[in-house]
Amino acid sequence: MRHILIIAAALFASSALAETPRDFLTRFEKEAGAAASAERGARFFNTSHGGEWSCASCHTERPAQAGRHAKTGKAIAPLAPAANAERFTDAAKVDKWFRRNCNDTLNRLCSAQEKADVMAWLLAPK
Amino acid sequence: MNTETKPIRVWDLPTRIFHWSLVASFAIAFLTAESEKLRDIHVVAGYTLAGLIAFRLLWGFVGGSYSRFAEFLPTPRKLIDYLKSLIDGRPQHYIGHNPAGAVAIFLLLGFGIVAAASGWAAYEDLGGHFLEELHEGAANGMMAIVVIHIAGVIVSSWLHRENLILAMITGWKKLRNENSAG
Repeated sequence: MRHILIIAAALFASSALAETPRDFLTRFEKEAGAAASAERGARFFNTSHGGEWSCASCHTERPAQAGRHAKTGKAIAPLAPAANAERFTDAAKVDKWFRRNCNDTLNRLCSAQEKADVMAWLLAPK
Repeated sequence: MNTETKPIRVWDLPTRIFHWSLVASFAIAFLTAESEKLRDIHVVAGYTLAGLIAFRLLWGFVGGSYSRFAEFLPTPRKLIDYLKSLIDGRPQHYIGHNPAGAVAIFLLLGFGIVAAASGWAAYEDLGGHFLEELHEGAANGMMAIVVIHIAGVIVSSWLHRENLILAMITGWKKLRNENSAG
C-alpha cells in the first residue's frame, strides 16, 4: 500500500511538472541552434508547402480563435496559448501532433527551426 | 505416415467473410490513423469494424458449430493443457479454434469493442485526452494480438502440416485420423 501511494505521488508529481508553452520555444530554438522568428512563423503557418493544406486550413490565420477541421468540419479549440491554457503543456502531445500535422501539410516532419518559428508566432502578443 | 484424410467443413461462409472483412477494416483503420486528411476513411473503417464485431458476437451464439463461442470457450484447464502440449512438442490438435487461439479471439473482440467505442466518443468530442490514449491503447492491443495470431497460424500450420490460411479462405480442412482432440 505504501509503495502504491509513493508511485501514485510520483506519477502525480510528474504530471504536475508539465511544460509551459515557453519551454517548447526554448527547446526548439536549442535544437535548431538559432533564434526563432515570429514573422517567419506566421508565413510558414499561413502558406501551403506544395500540399493541399496549410496549418491555417484547420487552425485559421488567427489561431487565438477556434478552428475548423478541413475534412470533417469539426470544431478545433484555439491553438494560441493565450486563448487556450491547455495548449503546449504536454511534451508527448506536442510531439505527437507536430508529427501528424506536419506529415499532413508538408508530407514530412517539421524542422526544429520551423517549429521554433511557429511557437514564437503563437506566443507573440496580438 | 498416415495419408488417410477426410475433408470437413469447419468455417462457415459468414465466419470467413467476417474474418477477411475484419482484416481489411482493421488494416485500413490502422494505416489511416495518423492522418487528418484521411480521417473520414478512418472513421468509416472504424464503424465497419464495429458492425463486423457486432455481427460476430451474434454469430457466436447462432452461427455454425465451430463458430459458436460455446464450442471454443477457453477454460484455464484447456489452455494450460494445450500450452503444455506445445512445450512437450506433441501439440494437441483441435479441428476448430485451439484454446490459445480462442483467448486471442476474445481479446481481439474486447479490444475491438473498446477501440470502436472510444474512437466514436473521441470523434464526437465526448471526452478529452484520455479517450485518445484509450483509443490508441486498444488499437495497439489489437495489433499485438494480430501479430501473435499470425505467428500462431504459421507455427500451427507447420506443426500440424495443414494450411490454416487456405482453410479460412475455403472453409475446408482435411482431417487426419490421428490425435484429434477437438
